Amino acid sequence: MSVETVTNPEPATPETEPSEVVIETRNLRKVYRDFWGREKVRALNALDLEVRRGEIFGLLGPNGSGKSTTIKLLLGLLFPTSGQALVFDRDASDVEKNERIGYLPEESYLYRFLNAEETLDFYGRLFDMDAQTRRERVDSLIDMVGLEWAKRRQLREYSKGMTRRIGLAQALINDPELILLDEPTTGLDPIGTREMKDLIIKLREQGKTVLMCSHLLADVQDVCDRIAILHQGDLKEMGRVDSLLTVKDVTQVQARGLSAEAEEEIREVISRHGGKLMAMEHPTSTLEELFLRIVRDSEQRPGRRTVEHE
Amino acid sequence: MVVDELELLSFLEWLLPGGDGSEMKIGALGVFLLIVPALSATVAFVCYLFSVARHGPSEGFYTVARTVAAGVTDISNISPRRVWAMARLAINEAVRRRVLIVVAIFMLVLLFAGWFLDSGSEHPARLYISFVLTMTTYLALALGLLLSTFSLPSDIKNKTIHTILTKPVRQVEIVLGRILGFVAVGTAMLVVMGLGSYLFVRRGLSHTHTVESFERVEGTTVGQDESPVVWRGTCTSADGHAHTFTVNQDGAGQTDVQRGHWHPVEKLSGKDGNPVFAIGPPQGWLQARVPIYGGLMFLDRNGQSTQKGINVGKEWDYRGYIEGGSQAAAIWTFSGITEQAFPEQLSLELNLRVFRSFKGEIERGVLGSIYLSNPDSGAAMRSVPVSFEAKEFSIDEIVFGRSLDVIERDGIPREGDIFKDLVSKDGELSVIVQCSERAQYFGMAQGDVYVRSADAPFFMNFVKGYIGIWLQMVMVTAFGVMFSTFLNAAVAMLTTFSCVILGFRSEFVSDIRTGDLEGGGPIEATIRLLTQMNLSGEFSDQLVTKVVQFVDQGLLLLMSFTANILPNYNAFDTTDYVAYGFDIYGGLLSRNLTIGLVYTLAAALVGYFFLKTREVAA
Repeated sequence: MSVETVTNPEPATPETEPSEVVIETRNLRKVYRDFWGREKVRALNALDLEVRRGEIFGLLGPNGSGKSTTIKLLLGLLFPTSGQALVFDRDASDVEKNERIGYLPEESYLYRFLNAEETLDFYGRLFDMDAQTRRERVDSLIDMVGLEWAKRRQLREYSKGMTRRIGLAQALINDPELILLDEPTTGLDPIGTREMKDLIIKLREQGKTVLMCSHLLADVQDVCDRIAILHQGDLKEMGRVDSLLTVKDVTQVQARGLSAEAEEEIREVISRHGGKLMAMEHPTSTLEELFLRIVRDSEQRPGRRTVEHE
Repeated sequence: MVVDELELLSFLEWLLPGGDGSEMKIGALGVFLLIVPALSATVAFVCYLFSVARHGPSEGFYTVARTVAAGVTDISNISPRRVWAMARLAINEAVRRRVLIVVAIFMLVLLFAGWFLDSGSEHPARLYISFVLTMTTYLALALGLLLSTFSLPSDIKNKTIHTILTKPVRQVEIVLGRILGFVAVGTAMLVVMGLGSYLFVRRGLSHTHTVESFERVEGTTVGQDESPVVWRGTCTSADGHAHTFTVNQDGAGQTDVQRGHWHPVEKLSGKDGNPVFAIGPPQGWLQARVPIYGGLMFLDRNGQSTQKGINVGKEWDYRGYIEGGSQAAAIWTFSGITEQAFPEQLSLELNLRVFRSFKGEIERGVLGSIYLSNPDSGAAMRSVPVSFEAKEFSIDEIVFGRSLDVIERDGIPREGDIFKDLVSKDGELSVIVQCSERAQYFGMAQGDVYVRSADAPFFMNFVKGYIGIWLQMVMVTAFGVMFSTFLNAAVAMLTTFSCVILGFRSEFVSDIRTGDLEGGGPIEATIRLLTQMNLSGEFSDQLVTKVVQFVDQGLLLLMSFTANILPNYNAFDTTDYVAYGFDIYGGLLSRNLTIGLVYTLAAALVGYFFLKTREVAA
């Protein structure tokens, strides 16, 4: 996936315009009721949230914690029980805001009887784009998500990863300023996950604001600037990822090419300064990194079989 | 065929207020302007009550006000491109869901129908035409029902609507687009079915006769100006009937009229001793008569003018009766009788009812007389009465030639001309019908006597009949989409279906409610069914009975209220016009188009508000 084709003339970073609020919720509550109006589930409790222009904001929480509910409230697909959800300073039920946002739903809810081109063309029409603009956008987006080879096939024949890609393409059809991603990496293989994460970061580089929700911690940690952790509808924690995760009283040292003597020396230095050595070991790579290395290697040299023993 | 009295109004007469002093009518537009604000206010109030229950009095008011305001903005900002995008989606969906199968069913039915339709019946054309039109109506309604009610609920269930509603689409565009798309699909199907049925009718009715025997006759004339008949013969029987034919000395001729049609006959071979006759294809049963209707008033038995005829004791007072052998008469006044429109002759068609107070000679009809008269009060000019035999349940045709005998005040007949002597300056002409037999009665209503002007093309009338079907389909589709904005697919389909049934049988419901029809409301009827009690049997006077009847009254009130709001599909059914060979006149067509359009837009509007106030992700 490459994002070059989706260009935005005014790249803005959080540093330059830190204060502009794109999404704001005030005391947002959502209670699901049954047919008789009795309380069924308290999905969201008094949520106060601010997402600023140019940042990637992650909503994190286990299943049923209210992440999707928050996103749907922001999109106007659900109506708040009380409180307010504002997007670009407009009420979430205002259709006008949709001109500037893109939404990738949890599953890509698309029409299975349309092919990729028809799908994107259809969503382009919904933005009242003229035929010329539509054609350009459709072509560049199909190219971007790498579905050139399958653009004439009906979506019913698509694999989950392909559906996800076309779902992403439709979310970007209007070159939105704000993108809401509901579990963007579910159903994707590690390569797809990596590409999705790269893409999200690229979107930020273009000055777009991203709100994503996920229960995959690694994904959130990799891309998000700020996160909010929800549990059973309550906001438990919110802040910058780096500051939240820093363990202040632990220092980590990583070095390459040290001999056993040098390691011993370091141990001594630590104990001399009154520190307690917690671990000194050879790091293991993550499985994700290993997998990606193998796949990329195999793409470069097809047919070669390598089993590394270290 | 019954031409409803109301249907004789022209479009503007129907739409705008009018009427003569005694009974003012506010017109359809007036009714509309009265009903819509009242209905909207009621609906808004009910919505407000619901809103108050959820949000409290002031917040509830703002919620309703906001929704209405947003509605106005949304509707004024409708983008044709987005509507068309939604319509295309609906078309795609319908086509890929293989709805074309309906056409296949239709064709299959047509293929087999030929076996069962009796082409030897008294009016095969009527049979064929009403068969295809009725079948198309049912198929088209079923199609509209199935297409429209499953689509939105499945969008909501599959959550595909999430990706749509998060685009700048207004709900009104979704609803309109759906209706438009399904109507487009239905229209395409109707065109195919229409052409199919037209060919089917043509082919099904076509038959050939061959000459069986003929003889030469000299010098007989049939009409006044016709050339003498030279040949007379009979044809072989086909489709259960046979014709006799006559051919004049120019070699042209025709058969007699059997079962509503005749064949042209042509003498081919020149040799007089051994002629050969070719009998052409059937003619005259696919026609679209264009009647010109006039205003009707009566003279009572003493010759005094009155608005209504006598009631002979029939419950349906649509027709008034005149007594035979008295001065009682029925006077129609037609306008627009011009020389250009009727250069040769004036054809009148009479469709009179006969009420016999004694049996009389049952084999023949009751005699009556008819004459034309100049409606100008000063002129006092009338034609010599022509007597005719009123055959009940069939149309009597009476032709007045351009030149005819007229009588002035003096009572002496002289030769005259219709347009010079009988038609007034503003093109008006009166037709007076009297019954000649003492103590027998003729019954008539406004539509029963008409001037027949040049026929309209049958094909066009067939198309107009299809437009009636199309309108019904459009309304069913619109209602289907409307219900599917807040009900799930199966329930939406059942509700739409019930509405169609209610719309077809609204009179039945109101008759039950007023007690004109016995048997009681839904619960009472169920009890009667289960206890095998007949319709008129009295219930014992218990509390339970009272409760049941009270609840029934409530249900019936609801049903008849609903039935009154819903479109009356019968009014759109113009099958009879086509089948009986009457042109569907412009006023009727434009009235139906207007009503259909208004219902469709109303359904779209209601659907919009339901979809807008619905939490689609819940």
